[in-house]
This record gives sequence, structure tokens and C-alpha cells, in this order.
Amino acid sequence: MSEGQSSPQSREILDMNNNQPIDGMVFKTLANAGLTWLRTNQQIVNALNVFPVPDGDTGTNMVLTMQAAYDEIKNTLYKNLGRIIHDLAHGALMGARGNSGVILSQLWRGFARSLGDKDILDGISFSNAMAEARDTAYKGVVRPVEGTILTVAKDMASAAENALQVTNDPYEMLIYIVNEAEASVERTPELLDVLKEAGVVDAGGKGLHYIFEGMLRYIQGQPLDTALISVQPLAAMQMDNAMESIEPGQDFEVVIDFRPEVHFDLQSYYDNLDQMGTSIQVGEGDGIYRMHIHVPTDKRYDPIDYTMSLGTITKVHIENLLAQMNWMGTGRPDQKLSLAPIEPGQIAVVIVAPGPGIARVFASLGAAAIIEGGQTMNPSTQEIVASFENLPTDKVIILPNNKNIFMAAKAASEVTVKQVAVIPSRTIPQGLSAMLRLVPDGNFEDVVNDMESSLDDVETGEITTATRSVEIDGVAVEQGEIIVLHNDKLILSAATLEEACLSFFKIAKAEDFELITLFYGKDVSKSLVNKITDLIRSNYPDHEVEVQDGGQPHYQFIISLE
Amino acid sequence: MAKETTPIGSIQVSPQAIATIAFQAAMRSYGVVGMASKNVVAGLTNVLVKDPTHGIDVHYDGQQIDIDIYIIIEYGTRIKTVANSVANTVRYQVEKALGLPINEINVHVQGLRISSLD
Repeated sequence: MSEGQSSPQSREILDMNNNQPIDGMVFKTLANAGLTWLRTNQQIVNALNVFPVPDGDTGTNMVLTMQAAYDEIKNTLYKNLGRIIHDLAHGALMGARGNSGVILSQLWRGFARSLGDKDILDGISFSNAMAEARDTAYKGVVRPVEGTILTVAKDMASAAENALQVTNDPYEMLIYIVNEAEASVERTPELLDVLKEAGVVDAGGKGLHYIFEGMLRYIQGQPLDTALISVQPLAAMQMDNAMESIEPGQDFEVVIDFRPEVHFDLQSYYDNLDQMGTSIQVGEGDGIYRMHIHVPTDKRYDPIDYTMSLGTITKVHIENLLAQMNWMGTGRPDQKLSLAPIEPGQIAVVIVAPGPGIARVFASLGAAAIIEGGQTMNPSTQEIVASFENLPTDKVIILPNNKNIFMAAKAASEVTVKQVAVIPSRTIPQGLSAMLRLVPDGNFEDVVNDMESSLDDVETGEITTATRSVEIDGVAVEQGEIIVLHNDKLILSAATLEEACLSFFKIAKAEDFELITLFYGKDVSKSLVNKITDLIRSNYPDHEVEVQDGGQPHYQFIISLE
Repeated sequence: MAKETTPIGSIQVSPQAIATIAFQAAMRSYGVVGMASKNVVAGLTNVLVKDPTHGIDVHYDGQQIDIDIYIIIEYGTRIKTVANSVANTVRYQVEKALGLPINEINVHVQGLRISSLD
């Protein structure tokens, strides 16, 4: 994360006029350029998600796949093109994440196979490799769905073939390929109804376009670490992953909400910000703009002063990224998370928690290990295994607390010699309910059964903001509306948080329960929490109401009814 | 039969219908190149009858719906990731169509197909 991403610098521009041959080393640089540009635009790809819950992670999956591919060749010095691409494909295969990641790995595999042990990429071999990449990718599915990354790959291969009529220069050919990729991505909603309904283009196809566009931008000497001038919906600006691209020297993250004056020139705004820092993103919603930038310590106030001259600032948020990164690491010096000490033979519980507050609550109930993860960042099997492998006991229970993590947890239970049970807890409250049944010295089967049967004792409400307009399960949702999930199922949308909370209590029959626990998310202000709490207390005076700082991302509130 | 009661009567969905939805979703999942039979006898019957639910087992015990999927995967893909996304896709499509939650989806990778040699 913090190691200097050797993003290709424009001063080492490849001299395309001199037709510098594309050998292994050149291709390695191009692959890095593709990766860098994809990472820069990761959040835009993530935002192209059809479902209203903020779990869009196609961009993240593709970046992780491409990163694994590049890591494989990062330290090699082969000049042979075929060998480099073969290793790249191998890395992509091993690191494939998600559907789009698997397809991406297949594209590279076909690309590599076609090139064999060629030394140099020329027009013909480029075109053949694109065709083989397409064929390999299409072989991987019985009924290919058009309007996806597959279609984009197909169109790119056709573009390469057509370009062969006019040129045998791979650089020139790349221009044709990238142009067609862009056009093809734009056409995806015409081919796939679900995209059209959601009003988006295909995320995987867009990611593939970014990879090749990154190569082209690098060749043309354009910057790769600043997103193109574009205004995205505010919901697309999920900052969690922005930290991955932190460069040394850019220690502070500054986020400013502002309302610009009438004559606001986005282009010059970007240009001026570019002088101050990196990772610039600007989002817009209802006339309010949000700007995000990473700047060095001594420039941390510059973006604020500058933005102030353009309009009215409503909110400023400054964060020390280095300190934050340290916290994200295993150390967590300032949190003093005291995990339960485990003695040999006892039952250890491993939990997955999306936020520091929730992690603390689990720790206080006797969790032996905690893995950071949740809706958008699913921990890998490896991370889960690592969390309990060193515990001095061979009886382990895993509480995934999210159905997206079941598979990884199950896989973890199969690759270890320890006795591991996965309790299918789908939500945080279910996990807590199970946690309360833990008897560390009890009989393993009894405890597991007890925990499993406790899952239904609790009703879960999750409140979040829809990132997209859509209709699911008969509930119509407008982008930006508050939506409520009851036991992991979308039940209603509302204009305000207050309305959402009260409607949830009505539907979940809160009057039948005694205890209401409210976990508020990391982006929720204290005053709002107090307001909601007062509202609940006045509507349900006989209930016990408990409020906890959950610190979870995306979800404003997670509510449990017991 | 998965059953849902509404004020004007009940809706019953047969496991066969659920299996058809799951089958379609699985066949469209990337990396899946075919469905497999659980055992030889079932495999023989399937040669004779063209079955739109081949390789899918739906269990309904009156409470919960469990689905078992038997698939063949393309050699050279990451099996874990493909199986994962099959499970997710099938769950999403079936839950969307049915409006009832699925308890468990088990993906059994019965074989790999090697379409070309690297």
C-alpha cells in the first residue's frame, strides 16, 4: 500500500515515432500503465453497479486481479515478450477475484498463448493475440451474455483485425482498439436490459477499456494518476479505497463540500488542484460539489483557501493518511482492542467486523480474533485462515456476519487441520446474538448448535443510502433515497432517516421485542444519532434503547431487535 | 413445494421450477462450461431425456430451500472464484424470481474441461 507505486512517469515516454519495438520490458511498463489507470478510475467502475446496495466492487476486483498479474512480472527482467505475458497471465489467474477478474485472467491467458515465445509485438501478432484472447474468454462460458466485458473484448479484437488493413504498427493499432473499446462500452446498455434499466454501462467492460486506455495514455505521455475531467455522482465517491493509492509525501486527505458560484469552470479547477496534490476527484449532487485530494503536509490548507475563492464551503474534512494507515494495520495502537486470551482446548471465535466500534463490541464479548471486512471488502480465505492458525486451540468457530463471506469462511474451514465450524450469521446483530451463547469450555457441537439456533432470535435492520435508482423485490428506489434492509432483504425506501427508522420498527413489529440496539456508522454525526435515539425513545418508551458507535462504512445504522 | 400465502390464496412453486431458474443462472455464469450429474444412473437418464434442470438439486423441507449445483468448469480458471460467483448468481436470480430466501447453495465442481492445451 504505502510502498511507492512506480507509476510510469511521462518523462520516460516511449518514442512511438521511432517505433521503439514492444519487447518484454516495454510491455511490462505498459501493463503497469494499464493497472495504474485502472486504479485511478477504480471508484468510477465500482459505481457502475446495478444493485442499490453499496457493494459495487467490480473495479476493486479488477484492480486486485491486475495487481496480482503485474506483481508476477514486477521484478523480472526478461526481454522476451512471450515470457513476460505468460507470467502476467499466470499472475492474473492466481489472483483472479470476482467474475470480471476471472474473465480478465482468461483474456490474458489467450493473449499469452497466441504470442508463444515471440520477442516483439507487431501488428499481426497483436491482432492475433486479441483474437485468441477473445476466443479463450468466450470458451469459458456455455451461454455468453452479450453487453458485458466479453462483448467489449470481442469488439476490440475486431477493431484490431480491421486496423491491420491500414497499419502494421502496434502503437497505431492500439489507438483503434482503445477507440473501439470506448464505443463498445457505450453500446452495452443496448445489449443488456438490466444495464439499460439501471442507466449504466457495463462495469467489467469499462474496466477493460481503462486498462488499454492506460497503456495508450502512457504512450502519449498523458498523466495516469488523475482521473479525467468528469463529474460523477456523489455516491460514486467512496473514499475507502482511495488510501490504496497513497503516494509518499501525499500525507493528508482533504475533502471539501462546497457550493460554487455561477461561473464555475471545472477544467481550471482541476488544473489548479493538480498543482497541489494527487488522487483528485470531484463529485456533484444537487448543486453541491465534493472535492477529494491527497496533498503533502505543508499544502494541507491550500485546497481549502483556493476553493473558498470559488464559492461557499459547507464542510471540510482533513485526515492524516499515514496515521490512518497505521491504524488500519494490525497494530491499532490507539484502539487497545483487547481480544479474549484463549487457552488450549477452549473454543475460539473468529469474527468478521466492518467497523472498529463493532469489532470492540465483539471483543468485549470474548472474540479471539477479528478480521476487518464486510459488504465491500470481503476478506480472503487466506486472511481468515491466518486469523486463527496461530491460536493455541484447535476448536474454532467463525462468524462471517455477511453472506458474501460465507464461501471464504467455508473454504477456510476446509484447508485447516483444526476443527472449524462456520455459523451462517448474515448480519452483525445475528453475529452478536450467536456470540452471547459462547461457552469457551463447553462441548464444541453443543455450542455450535446453540449458536446456530440463536440466529433467528434477533431481527436485523440495516439502513443505507441507495447508490442508484432501481426496483427490486417490488420496492422502487430512487438514487440518494434512504433504504432499509430487514434481515438482509430490501423492504422499503424513505426520504429521511427518521422515516426509515420508524417504518422499519413498524414492519419488524418492534413492539414484540424488548431491546433495541443501534449501531451508528462512521459517517453519521453525533447530533443525528441523538435525534434518532430521542425519536425511538419517544415512540417506544417501554423499550430499552442502547446506542453503540459501530464505525461501519456505508450503513448509517445497523439496528438489532431482541 | 415452496409455498407463500397471500390474502387471496396461496402460491406454490415446485422444486422443478426453482431448479429451472437455477439452471439458467448457472449456465450463464462465467467459467461454467457444463452441468454434471450427481451419479452415473442420473447421468444415463439425462442422456435419454433432455432435462432443463440437469445438474441441479433443490431440497425443500417445508422451511428452507437448499440448492445443490453440479458443474463442470473451464480448465485454467480459478475454480474457487468461479464457484463463488456461480453461488452468488444463482442465489440472486432465484431469490429475485421467487421472493423467498434461499438457505444454502452448494456448488459441486464435478469436472474440468480442457478446451485447448497451453
